[in-house]
Amino acid sequence: MNFRDALDSGKFVVTAEIGPPKGTDIKEMLHDAEMLKGRLDAVNVTDNQSAVMRINSMSICRILLDMGHEPILQMTCRDRNRIALQSDLLGASVLGIRNVLCMTGDHPDAGDHKGAKPVYDIESVQLLRVVDSLNNGRDMMGNEMKGATDFFQGAVVTPEANPIEPQLMKFEKKVGAGAKFFQTQAIYDIDKFREFMKYARKFPVKVLAGLVLLKSAGMANYMNKFVPGITVPSGLIDELKAAGKENALDAGINIAARHIKQLRDEKICDGVHIMAIGAEDKVPLIMERAGLS
Amino acid sequence: MIITKKRGHKDIMENIKNCNSLFLLGCSECATLCGTGGEPELREMKETLEAEGKKVTGTFVAKTGCQVLGTKVELKQFKDALAETDCILVMSCGAGTQTAVELFQDKPVYPTNDSLFLGNMTRIQMFDERCSLCGKCILDKTGGICPVTACPKGLLNGPCGGTNNGKCEISDDIECAWVRIYNRLKRLDQLEDMKKTAEPKDWSAHKKPMSINAREKKEEVKK
Repeated sequence: MNFRDALDSGKFVVTAEIGPPKGTDIKEMLHDAEMLKGRLDAVNVTDNQSAVMRINSMSICRILLDMGHEPILQMTCRDRNRIALQSDLLGASVLGIRNVLCMTGDHPDAGDHKGAKPVYDIESVQLLRVVDSLNNGRDMMGNEMKGATDFFQGAVVTPEANPIEPQLMKFEKKVGAGAKFFQTQAIYDIDKFREFMKYARKFPVKVLAGLVLLKSAGMANYMNKFVPGITVPSGLIDELKAAGKENALDAGINIAARHIKQLRDEKICDGVHIMAIGAEDKVPLIMERAGLS
Repeated sequence: MIITKKRGHKDIMENIKNCNSLFLLGCSECATLCGTGGEPELREMKETLEAEGKKVTGTFVAKTGCQVLGTKVELKQFKDALAETDCILVMSCGAGTQTAVELFQDKPVYPTNDSLFLGNMTRIQMFDERCSLCGKCILDKTGGICPVTACPKGLLNGPCGGTNNGKCEISDDIECAWVRIYNRLKRLDQLEDMKKTAEPKDWSAHKKPMSINAREKKEEVKK
C-alpha cells in the first residue's frame, strides 16, 4: 500500500526519516534503511538537513524505492530557484518518487556552508502550489508540459510555535495551496497537541505528529533552549534524568512509545513521524514498545 | 542612504602598494553620515598615508559623489593635484567609486569602503536595513514592514518554523519579520491582508544592471 492509500485507509500511519550522509559511503544508511524495511508506511529523506551539505534527497529516495521503501522526498527552497525546483520535481517523478514534503528550509547560517547564497526564490506555500500545478500538467508559469506529475504533497507545521496565530495562518495557506498531509515539528505535550488537532481537524488534511527521540536530559534541555517551536516539558526531562546516563536513551524510547500509543489509542491524529536523528536503528524498538509491530 | 563600512587597513594598503601619490575623494552625503568619507575621515586617512610614506596630492569631499556630472565640475579646481596623482582613493560607496572610475579613464581608482545596504538612520551612526530595492514594492500588503528585507529568508507568506517567541532562528537580535507584520496588521485590523497567499516574487523587476531615464518618462507624459 502506498503512503497516500495508507492515509486514506484510516490506519494509524507511521513514518520515520533517513538523513543522507555527507560523502559517498552509504553503507550505514543502507543498514538503517534495511532495518526499517516493511515496518513503515513511508520514509522521509531529508534535504541537506540543517543546511549541512550531504547527498541529495532525490538519489537516496530512488535507492530506497528500489529497496522496497515508500520514500517521501523532502524539498526545501533554500538551495534552488523556481526553475531548479520544478526541474527536480519532474526528475523525481520520472524516477518513480510520488511523495513530496514542501518546506522552506533552514537558513545556510545554521549549516556548514555559512557563506552560501540563500536562494528562497519561492517558499513552502508557493512550492505547494507549484506541485499542484505540475500535477495538473502545467509548470508554474502555466506552460503546458508533456506529461504531468502525480505527487502526493505535504507540508510541515509547528503546533507549539509562539506566537501560534501567524503559524496557523500559514498552515491554512498551505492547506489552500494543496497540502494533503502534514508532518509536525516535534511535539512532547500531548494535551497541547490535542488542542491543536481540534483546530486542524477542521481541514481536509491528514496530520502526523512529529516525535523526536529524546536521548538524554542534556539533549532535551538543548532543544528547549535552541530549537524554535520545541518544548520538552520538565516532567519528561526529570524522567530522563532519573533513568541515569546509561539508561537515558531507553527512557527516551519509552517516552516516544508511550506518546505514540496515546496518540493512537485516543485517535488524536492520523499517525506519527518518528525522527530518531542518528538513532534510526532504534525506530523498530520504539514501534514495538508502542505496540505497533 | 547607502551604508558603508571602512575596509581593513591592510586591504587598502595592498591595493595602493604601487602608488606613491594619492588623491582622496569623499562624499558629503551618506559616507559623511556613516563616518566613512567625510572631512574628519579624509584628514585621518591623509595622516595615515603620509605616515606610511605616501604623498597625498589633494583631498576633496564631493557634494554628492554618485552624481557624475556634479562631481566632475567640482573636481575641476583640483586639476593639478589630480594630474599629479598616481591613483584616486574613493572614501564613499561603490557608486561614488565608479563616478571616479568614469571621470578618470587613465588612473586606477580604489575604494576604501565596503558598501553594505540601503539604510535607515535610527540614531547618529546607527543604521538598519529596511528596504532591499527589490524593484516591486509589497509594503502595501505587509503592513508597511518589508519581509523581503526583514526576514533572512525573504518569506512572503508568513513565518517559517524557526520563529521563536517573536525572534528569528538566525539570531535573537533579529525580530521575526512576520511576527512584526502580524502584530501590526492586527493592530490596524488588517489581518485579512495576511491571509492572502502572495504570488512568487517577480525578480525580473530588478534585472541587473538597472537603468532608468526619468527624463524620457517626463517627455512621454507631456506627449
